[in-house]
Amino acid sequence: MTVRLTLFGLITSLFVGLVYVMTKPVIIEAKEQARQEKLYLLAAPLLANGRIASPVQRELPDDAPASFEHPLSITPIVTDTEQLGVVLPITALQGYSGPIQLLLALDQQQRIVGVRAIEHRETPGLGDRIETRKSDWMLAFNGLRYDDLAPDDWAVQNDGGQFDSFTGATITPRAVVDALKETLAYLARHPVILEASP
Amino acid sequence: MKLSTVWLDGLWDRNPGLIQLLGLCPLLAVSNTLENAIGLGLATLFVLVLSNASISLIRTLVDDAIRLPIFVLVIAALTTCAELLVQALDYQLYQSLGIFLPLIVTNCLILGRAEALAKRETIVMSTIDGLAQGLGFFLVLVSLGALREWMSGTLILAALPPGAFIALGLLVAIHQWIQGKLKQKPTEQSMDQTNRRVRTTGDIS
Repeated sequence: MTVRLTLFGLITSLFVGLVYVMTKPVIIEAKEQARQEKLYLLAAPLLANGRIASPVQRELPDDAPASFEHPLSITPIVTDTEQLGVVLPITALQGYSGPIQLLLALDQQQRIVGVRAIEHRETPGLGDRIETRKSDWMLAFNGLRYDDLAPDDWAVQNDGGQFDSFTGATITPRAVVDALKETLAYLARHPVILEASP
Repeated sequence: MKLSTVWLDGLWDRNPGLIQLLGLCPLLAVSNTLENAIGLGLATLFVLVLSNASISLIRTLVDDAIRLPIFVLVIAALTTCAELLVQALDYQLYQSLGIFLPLIVTNCLILGRAEALAKRETIVMSTIDGLAQGLGFFLVLVSLGALREWMSGTLILAALPPGAFIALGLLVAIHQWIQGKLKQKPTEQSMDQTNRRVRTTGDIS
């Protein structure tokens, strides 16, 4: 009986593994394309005058917050003569159901042009209001710089900050706000990270 | 069991969405737009047909003690495959279905059919039952999606969760009304047979 159960487990895992291997390249491509589309939408205000340059890989020092990828891949928005801004991925690690992947667009003054959730597993109807097609919550960050707000205001209302905490799902917005705060604070101290040609 | 009965049961007489009321959670949650409804309906159909077929295929190898774990194993594996395939074929759809795609595992329609039929019928019969029940579920999901998307233009309630309950209630009522009309004519089945409560799950051991 145990043998039979194990055998079934092996066969089904093998089957899932096979489908996984077969679909993996297509999924990676689809993800990359979805990300590109989001990138275009996000950087739209900058793209009025500029264009998307090819991504640059950045090695970050060890003290960089965990919300950054290692190495960090930044996508500069440029004209022929100057850089207008940058788009970079960040991760809010403290999401309710795993990490929340965000895409953040900043201009040269490190003012937020836009920020979007590109991948998450938050609860439908509660935490998924971080998606712009469900709610306008994410748009509250537009136009903000790190020093526009006191450090204590970079928090959800439940924690004494400025940003709406969803009823019944505070963990999700808290994760997003905290990740943004951490990221922006670090970038404000190390602006050179975002220069395409330092 | 006759093939025509299997088809009629799945699509009308014992429709999973309207009579058995199985799989209500995805039915109500994902029917907010037509596109989502079609996507989840097809994914559920895919899992149901293959799970019915494979469970019928292995029915002689499985004794009662390990029956449920193996059924769940098969259904979970197929759902994972469906999730990967949807991700590969339509990433946008995958994102808008969100958590409800992996939650096909918990759709009681699928385990219900495995228990009620696939564990004792032939593979052909089980596959056809999967198709009939899956299509029945698909059609209700799509009607609900179309109805809610169409009404949400004038009535915002239709797009909200309570709208799902009200719209499904309407569909069930229409189904009952037509059933009632049909029953008034003499049929080969007796009244109490068509009226009895449908047993939707198999035996418990």
